[in-house]
Amino acid sequence: MIDVIIVGAGPAGLSAANVCAKNGLKVKVVDEFMKAGGRLLGQLHEEPDGTWWNGIEEAKKLSEDAQELNVAVECGVSVHNIKQEKSYWKVYTTKGDFKTRALLLATGAAETSLPIPGWTLPGVMSIGAAQVMTNVHRVRVGERGVVIGINILSAAITRELQLAGIEVSSMYLPGKNIVTEDAAKPLSTMKSMLKVASLAPSKLIRLGSYFMKYESLQSLAVRFYPKNGMKVWGMPVHLRKAVLEIVGDKKVEGVKVAQVDVNGEPILSTEKFVPADFVCIAGGLYPLVELAAISGCPFQYIAELGGHVPVHNENMKTPIDGLYVAGNITGIESAKVAMKQGAVAGYSISMDLLKTDVNIEDQLQQAINHVKQTRNQATIQFHPDIHSGREKIHASFKNTLRTDI
Amino acid sequence: MSKGRIIDHPILGRLDEREEVHFTFDENKLIGYEGETIAAALLANGERVLRCHEETGKLRGIYCNIGHCMECRVNVGNQKSVRACLTVIQEGMEVKSGRKLPTPFKKGETQ
Amino acid sequence: MDSRNTEVLIIGGGVIGAAIAYYTAKSGMEVTVIDKGDIASGTSSRCDGNILAIDKEPGFDSQMSLESQKLVDQLSKELDLDFEYRAPGSILVCESEDEMIAAESWVERQKKAGLSFKMLDRNDIKQESPYFADDLLGGLECETDSTINPYLFTYSLFHGATKYGAKVMLRCEVEGMSRDSVTGLFKVNTPKGEIIAKKVVNAGGIWAPYIGNMLGLDIPIKPRKGHIIVASRDMPVGMRKVMEFGYLMSKFGKERTVDEETDKYGVALVFEPTESQNFLIGSSRQFVGFDTRVDMDVVNCIARRTIRFYPKIADFIIIRTYSGLRPWTPDHLPIVSPVEEIPNYYIAAGHEGDGISLAAITGKLMTELLQDQINTIIPTDPIRYSRFKNVSTIQT
Ligand SMILES: Cc1cc2nc3c(=O)[nH]c(=O)nc-3n(C[C@H](O)[C@H](O)[C@H](O)COP(=O)(O)OP(=O)(O)OC[C@H]3O[C@@H](n4cnc5c(N)ncnc54)[C@H](O)[C@@H]3O)c2cc1C
Ligand SMILES: Cc1cc2nc3c(=O)[nH]c(=O)nc-3n(C[C@H](O)[C@H](O)[C@H](O)COP(=O)(O)OP(=O)(O)OC[C@H]3O[C@@H](n4cnc5c(N)ncnc54)[C@H](O)[C@@H]3O)c2cc1C
Repeated sequence: MIDVIIVGAGPAGLSAANVCAKNGLKVKVVDEFMKAGGRLLGQLHEEPDGTWWNGIEEAKKLSEDAQELNVAVECGVSVHNIKQEKSYWKVYTTKGDFKTRALLLATGAAETSLPIPGWTLPGVMSIGAAQVMTNVHRVRVGERGVVIGINILSAAITRELQLAGIEVSSMYLPGKNIVTEDAAKPLSTMKSMLKVASLAPSKLIRLGSYFMKYESLQSLAVRFYPKNGMKVWGMPVHLRKAVLEIVGDKKVEGVKVAQVDVNGEPILSTEKFVPADFVCIAGGLYPLVELAAISGCPFQYIAELGGHVPVHNENMKTPIDGLYVAGNITGIESAKVAMKQGAVAGYSISMDLLKTDVNIEDQLQQAINHVKQTRNQATIQFHPDIHSGREKIHASFKNTLRTDI
Repeated sequence: MSKGRIIDHPILGRLDEREEVHFTFDENKLIGYEGETIAAALLANGERVLRCHEETGKLRGIYCNIGHCMECRVNVGNQKSVRACLTVIQEGMEVKSGRKLPTPFKKGETQ
Repeated sequence: MDSRNTEVLIIGGGVIGAAIAYYTAKSGMEVTVIDKGDIASGTSSRCDGNILAIDKEPGFDSQMSLESQKLVDQLSKELDLDFEYRAPGSILVCESEDEMIAAESWVERQKKAGLSFKMLDRNDIKQESPYFADDLLGGLECETDSTINPYLFTYSLFHGATKYGAKVMLRCEVEGMSRDSVTGLFKVNTPKGEIIAKKVVNAGGIWAPYIGNMLGLDIPIKPRKGHIIVASRDMPVGMRKVMEFGYLMSKFGKERTVDEETDKYGVALVFEPTESQNFLIGSSRQFVGFDTRVDMDVVNCIARRTIRFYPKIADFIIIRTYSGLRPWTPDHLPIVSPVEEIPNYYIAAGHEGDGISLAAITGKLMTELLQDQINTIIPTDPIRYSRFKNVSTIQT
């Protein structure tokens, strides 16, 4: 039997694996992507100090450590079911079933889609798809595209497309419908973008930090938002224009754009066609939790964490024996936080399986502190109220223990 | 190996030389590179359309590119519904886009 | 906290609650439906959509199904929202001589009762589907059987009910209730306030015992789990619902000749082609409490059973699996009945594997009961609550 199986070779999973292996545990990591590193592989951001956060390099470091520590990392393997038996977990994969004493789910996040008429045309893809195609596979997604959905991830990835020499002509809001909701409203989009001031050294953001302080100024800013958008990295960002439809016969040929009022309602007389050979849709991220749901783990909906998350505590333990979670499955944050969370899970698992070692307890405590420090210093914050989200989920762990299980 | 690919990158550097891999997509002979996914190799070859919707016949391409959405499913050899975004091309691989299937129970169609 | 009043309160927004809401509202009564989750969030979204007479004992059992089939046919014309209704008939297939003999006597009895049943031979089976295993001996068909999409059906009924003025309260759990001994009114507690009702219908499916327990009732319903595989769109395999005759064998007091696992999980083939050209493949029968987690061992067993009958679909892709809990009663008949000891309290639950089939007739009958009608659409004795007076099977 294996001591620990980890599902997901992203920053959280690999960090956890390395800690477990250092403590002498037999570890196996499985991932359905063809390379280890998870979503880290696509990431490329300029830090405020001018250095680059190069995800491929970071992933390489983690993988090399794993190799040195004899962690078995198996890529191209999907986990489709997990089952708790009396004293172990059974993990069902596309390459056979395995038994393990402890199971860590580090499956990361998935993208929320924004259904807009025409969104199934070839050439329309999620913003993350464009990131992976560009930075991981180094294949051009097109010549000239538009991005629908204005949020931190789409801003960061649009910048990455530009770096690779792919032109993005504009960023727009999604047209308003029952699904797009807040993402289609200028003011709520403005507010959420203002929270990411550190990411984009742009005019919008500089103005933003000023507007942040005054609610009334925010709606003013939206009201008087320039018709031609504000330029970020040389590209117009439109808070007062929305894509109503993606147009094309056999593939994308362009988008139908209209001005919208302050509430996101389109002004139909302003409709215009903008040519494009690809379109990226950015609806934000949510935790990828199916395996935790299969296990019967209790869940809690916490908007600040990005959706439904498996109940867990600061040690990354769920209320279910031998089941741990780390990384974006616990809430949407940057890869740096995911790494630190992985370390916490690693110490936590080591402590539970090895039992005797007091030393690990101190290290676990330190690792928990590292998570908090990293969170406080994060340049990328997907949800402004992440701290309160974390508090809620930890509290719900305590309640779960109190009521049943 | 220039076609459709990002050879030089200001931060990530130059793309390594890789072995060619020969594969087919609906009878078309194509060339990709070792380690590439079906989806990446096809896009680099200018193929955006991966399949048609089994029921409506509408054309589809990649959407999420990381295995979650199942939009890129193609048939590979005898294997149905393979995710093109997670499957690495192999020498001689036969990739097929699938076709529209009859839906005899849909209203308005004959039984 | 506010309080609201209603003439009839239906607890449970599954297919049974939906049908009762539709017919009562249509008859002019003032109704409110309350569910702790969403519409069809219980068993009614974790099932198949068969409306069957083929497996029913001639007599009351099959009469109830046939009446319901007729009502569903009417509903398909009368409701605004389409629910993928089709009536192509259904068939049972036999894999042994023993089964063929039993099938013949089944068909004889059904025909005597005036139903349109017919034996099928090897050739008929081949015609039915080129995907069938070559060694199947034959089977039988019931011409009137129909099929629907269960959650669309539930939605459609609610949509219809609200047009007649029914109110629906969702994500609101009934936490307790009492009956005022003076006024006879029910006080129902929910997180959103108190509801005062003249009449209460417990349509809580597998949870009906808990709801009954709030007034001290002992309702003998237990969850009986079933698994379903959803196979991806592929070539049409057949036009009708197919079941194996094997699982009827117990009705003839004969053992099924199946392997240990198939027997242990109660697996018998049910194959349902859906309108979107996916295939629902079931099913299993187990008493394992309220656990709805999918058990892959059971799924594998169902898949093996399927391939025994359809060897040529072994390469079909499974896109999803799910499991649901049938509201089982000791005699396999539902409880659709007033409760003598509590005036104005009614139960409509315990339809086990036939709740979709019997929803329409249940709705119609309950409306008649609520209006104290004496001539009801079907006899009520076999499904009275009082038949369980001395049987206590309530689980804790
Ligand atoms: C498309 C996308 C783009 C992103 N871009 C950025 C960005 O630019 N900047 C940023 O800071 N953050 C970004 N994020 C957020 C990202 O989730 C975190 O930065 C970080 O990568 C989370 O680490 P993780 O280890 O929790 O999960 P991930 O890095 O997502 O790793 C999870 C791994 O689990 C594997 N996996 C999941 N389910 C299974 C299964 N059933 N069987 C086998 N393997 C499985 C996946 O293949 C994946 O490799 C992005 C997220 C997504 C989804
Ligand atoms: C695998 C499987 C296949 C099946 N196939 C068929 C088939 O082909 N044909 C057929 O006829 N039948 C079939 N059935 C049976 C059928 O699904 C059920 O008989 C039927 O769905 C029961 O409906 P219901 O309304 O009684 O229960 P439910 O749908 O479970 O509704 C009960 C509702 O009550 C609510 N509730 C419970 N407690 C409270 C409370 N305290 N407060 C508020 N609300 C509450 C619940 O949330 C739930 O929504 C199948 C069942 C299974 C499991």
